[in-house]
Parts: sequence; C-alpha cells; structure tokens
Amino acid sequence: MAFRRRETVIETTDLNTISPEEAEKRIIAGVKKYATNETNWGKADANTPYLGHIIGIGIESSNLADITMSIERQFLTRKTTRVPVTGDSTEFRLEDGELGKLRILDGQDALAATPGLSIKMLMDLGHMPQNLPYLDKVVSFAYITAVGDGYRMNDALQKVLAKVGKFTGAERKEAVANLKAMAEQTKAYEALLADPAALAAARKKTYDNDKAAYDTLARELNVVHDKLKGLTSSNDPAAIARLRAEEAEVKTRLRMSAAKLRVSQEVANAAGRRSPVEEAQVQQIRKLLAQSVRLAASHGA
Amino acid sequence: MYCSRLVPWSTPEYRNYYFLGGPLRQRMVRFLMYLCRCIPFLREGEDEASVRWRQMAFEKCVWLLRHGGSVFIYPEAGRSRSGWFEAKRPKDFLGRMALEVPAAKFLCVYLRGENQLYTTVYPAKGERFLMRADLIDGVLPGETNPRAISERLFNKLAELQLEWFKDGAWPRNCGGNDVVDLKSEKAREHFDLEANEVDWEWVDRHLTPKELAYLRSQQPAQIYFVFWKFFAAKEASHKALAQSGLQTPVGAYGMLEVDLFRRQVVHLPTGCQVEVAFTDDDADKIHCIAVLRGGFIGDEDNPGDVLWKVDEVPADAAAQDYAREQCLKFIAQSSDEIPSPSVLAFSEQDGIPKILRSGKICDWGVSLSHSGRFAAYSFMIS
Repeated sequence: MAFRRRETVIETTDLNTISPEEAEKRIIAGVKKYATNETNWGKADANTPYLGHIIGIGIESSNLADITMSIERQFLTRKTTRVPVTGDSTEFRLEDGELGKLRILDGQDALAATPGLSIKMLMDLGHMPQNLPYLDKVVSFAYITAVGDGYRMNDALQKVLAKVGKFTGAERKEAVANLKAMAEQTKAYEALLADPAALAAARKKTYDNDKAAYDTLARELNVVHDKLKGLTSSNDPAAIARLRAEEAEVKTRLRMSAAKLRVSQEVANAAGRRSPVEEAQVQQIRKLLAQSVRLAASHGA
Repeated sequence: MYCSRLVPWSTPEYRNYYFLGGPLRQRMVRFLMYLCRCIPFLREGEDEASVRWRQMAFEKCVWLLRHGGSVFIYPEAGRSRSGWFEAKRPKDFLGRMALEVPAAKFLCVYLRGENQLYTTVYPAKGERFLMRADLIDGVLPGETNPRAISERLFNKLAELQLEWFKDGAWPRNCGGNDVVDLKSEKAREHFDLEANEVDWEWVDRHLTPKELAYLRSQQPAQIYFVFWKFFAAKEASHKALAQSGLQTPVGAYGMLEVDLFRRQVVHLPTGCQVEVAFTDDDADKIHCIAVLRGGFIGDEDNPGDVLWKVDEVPADAAAQDYAREQCLKFIAQSSDEIPSPSVLAFSEQDGIPKILRSGKICDWGVSLSHSGRFAAYSFMIS
C-alpha cells in the first residue's frame, strides 16, 4: 500500500497519560504536511484555526478529514466499546472498554476548528480527563468564527485601500463609494463585536432558523407516520415500501438537522459569554478594524 | 359538481392526503377534502390506472372551467425542492387545459414565506407571507401549441418570482463553483493510481452510504475521478447554499448527498436540492458549478445563467488573490455596463464573498475556488 500516512510509523499514546498541552503539541505537529501557511503553522497554538490563510494554518477543506485521522492515529483511548444509540442501530456511541484505537465518529469533530477545540472535543467525549485550567485558555468555536470573520473583513478592506489611491476620475469615485460601503460594514461589525449580547442575538437568529427547520422536519416525520398508519390497512405493499423509504429519508435528514442544530446552539450560547482569552482576541481584531476604518476615512470614505 | 369562481377547486396529490391516519381519520380527511373542493391528483405513475386517473382529473378540471368554475393548480406539478420556480422547464398540462377552454384566464400567483429558504411541508411558526399576482389570458389569438402557452405562463410566474425577490430580504442568485487539481499531490494522497488502490477509510469520511455504494460499484480506474466529482459537487453546492443563508458546518460532507446521474446535490438537513454541472473536466482537473436559485444552470439547448472560468495560477501568484483579481476582470469583461474591474471590489458578508459596485452589494452569486495549479470563479447573470 503506497499511502504515505501508512508508511509513517507513529507512536501512539494513551490520552489519559499525557497533558492537554502535550496532546496539543502533537496535534499541531501532525497537521504540518497540510499547512499551506507555514509561518502561521510555525507559531500555532491552541487557538490557531486550521482553516484560513490570514491567521489560520491554511489547511484546505479537502484535508479536514486528514486532521481528524491524524489525531486518531496518534492517540489511544479507553472509549472503545461501540454501543448502538437506542432506536437506531446505524448510530453508535463509545463507552469504556479495552485501551485501543481512538475513533472520532461522524459529526463529533464539527466544532474542532483549532487544536484547542480538538482537545476540548476529546475531553467532552471522555477520551481524556477534563482539565478546566486548560479549557479556560481555549477560545470557543463561536469566537473563532466571529474573530475569523473580522480578520477576513479587515483583509478585504485593506485590499481595497491598497488600490484606491491608484485610481482617478470616475473610477476613483466608484472605488471610494465601495470603500465607504466596506468601511461602514466594518464599523458595524466592530460595534457588534464590542457587545457580547448583540453578537449572541445575531447568532441566535441562525439557531432559531435551524430550530425551526428541525421542528418542521419533525412534523414532516409525523405526517409520514400518519400516512403509514393509513396505508397499513390498505394492503398496498408498493405504497408502504415507498413510505418506509420516505420515513428513512426523513429520519436521516432529522439526524443531520440535529447535528447542524447542535453547532448553531453551541455558537449562540457561547457568543453571549466571553472569557478573558476571548476578550483579548476580540480587542485585537476590533483595534485592527478601527484602524482600517480610520484609514478608509482618510481616503474620503 | 358545484361551481363557483370565489372558491377554486384544488388539485392535491392523492397520496399526500387521502391515507392520513387510521380508517376514521381517513374518512374525516376525505370528507374535509371534499368540502374544501379537492380533485385528487396522481402525479406519479405511468401505468394505465395512473394515466387514466390523471386524464379523469384533467377532464373534471376542464368541465369546471367550462361551467364558469375555477381550478387551483401547481404549474410545476410538484413542490420545487430548491425553493426556486424554474421557468425553463414548462409542463404542458396547463397549456392543454387552456386550449380546451380558451376563454379561461390564468391568475398567476407567487406566494412565499418571508423567511422561507427552501421547501417545507409546514411554514415556520409566525411566518409572514409575501404574494405577487397577475391575471393573464389563457389562449392568445393564434396560439395552438400547449407548450407555447405553458411557456408564456411559466415566464409570467418567473417575472412574479423576480418581483418577489426584488422586495424580499434574501439574495436571489445563489451559485457556487469548485475546482480540483487532479494532478496535485494532496488530491492523490489517498489514491494509488498505479495499483488502483483506495484509502477507503479516508474516502468514507466524505461520502454518504449511498454515494459510497455508487463509488464502490465503479471500475477501479474511475474511482479517483468519481470521488473528486463527488467532492467538487459538494463544495460547489456548499457555497451556493451558504449564499441562500443555509450554512452547512465546514467539513460536514455527510450532510450533502450528490446524485451524479441526476446532477443534483441534496442538503440532507433540509432536503433542499442544488443543481450541478461539470464544465471543464479533463485529465488535469474537475470543475463543478452549482445553482440553488436565481437562474438556470444550463443544458444542451440553453446556455444557462452562470458564467465561469478556470485559469492556471501563475507560479509567483497567491491563488486566492489571483482568483479574486481575475474574477473582477472577468465580470467587467462580461458586461458592457462595467467600464473596468476597478469599479468593482470584493467584500465579505458572513464569510461569503460579495461584489460591490458604487458602494452597493451586487446580487451576482459570485464564487471563488482554487486547488493546486488552478483558480476558478463564477457568477450569475440572471
């Protein structure tokens, strides 16, 4: 087999025998080959996003599964016994068993956007002991995305600022209008970041949409059940089979919808609370955004 | 049958309503449906009984119209799974009906919840609805072809849809694109092309069980290309969905299911369907465009409403920046109204790239992608 990841000999470690800091170092080292921004990788810590080129390691989405698999290859866990989730034999959860290969199940890594959040995921799933002092230093997924959006916005504004001085006449007028719109948008976002309650309210809209989608789907499943109940007495096997297929499809969608809802719920909840480390990151990006807005104003925006 | 212009007869799908619940509830539903003036329709099935059923329902509708009644029909013959009414795929049913009763008129209605992103069985709680409507002739002088009549009707509904989006809060054009460099080291990492071997553990993390079954049924030499087609379709659809407000968590590939035969991608949490097309595929690359709404993706007869380009990134350029610059140039070149790319700028809104012109966000469904040696960009012109 020529796959390079299988050629590499990796020493596996029991997650219960190492500190979160050590696990974090190993996770960062494990993703080096996928980093397209090596400078950011070189100074990566618990809160460096895997994705993104500005402050992130620059890992591409096609390598996201590689991050999870890299973590799985490096660590051993006691959570190795697969237990079917009640009512649906295709879903499993992991419970204590013999020390063995770490397995991160589908969707469990949805919030693991940084090495620190990967460690949090391992702790939340019981693969390693909870370590509150470590978790206090980890920026939540909600703030990783909020701060990341700020950096991307700042980068877009900086790019326009770099060009606007080169234009004259009608072109300059249009470029300044664009700059002005971006500066206003940036200012509004900077104000949003300043207020955790406002940020939480903005994120709650996404949660509300996802919740409405989930509830609607749950009602759709009830309708399918109603139809099945009606058809069972009609002796129409083809129609029953079709409805069974529809029921399975809606159940899959419901499971996916629940997974999506968990992400937006976590984001909505965490956006309203702000730890000191999150506050520091927010202040840093707010400062940059405010500087860019001032610079834009000096260009007539 | 009782006729009245005030309350139209409706044409619901028989299987959706007439078998709800146990025998007692079924009788009650059937009675209520009769009171609510329903002519049950069978939209599926090509067997003799289904065809006869449809013909009878058609004749009932014609009878009602001839006797001064009105009939309420979904012209697209089913619910749109993308949340977009596609005018370029008209159904003949209404054209045929109009020719039977030339004096009848079409009251075209576009009705949609203000926050309705996609098709649902129920509206969200507390939803408000916006409606656009217009009355048009059933048959114009000289019209004899049912398809031509249906096309005219569908075009009117498309106009109403455009008006709805003009007044709504959501962007109309939602498109995406994705390119994969097939020769890149990263793309090949989990495939041994000489030995035709695949790292199934890795592949499994990107596909749904249905996709995986399809991939496993492919010839070994094809698996590599088919996998990256799945991947490009998922990425392009992810971008199109995000533009509509439907965010899929990054890396949640299992939430998007690709049907390469039908050229559709389903967002599993919502059932929302995105249409995809593969454009510049060769031994070096795969490129996919996706359209959720706002326009037509194109087919053999119609070029569609998405413009795209795939370029090789110069060795000294950063792929992301290159894609942005080239995209602005491409948009400017594609329009007589845009004098130069310098009047355009890229902005970010909730992590989604947007184009600004004269300080206003343009609803163009713009999308950027890069992989290895290639950069790709697309936008919609509808």
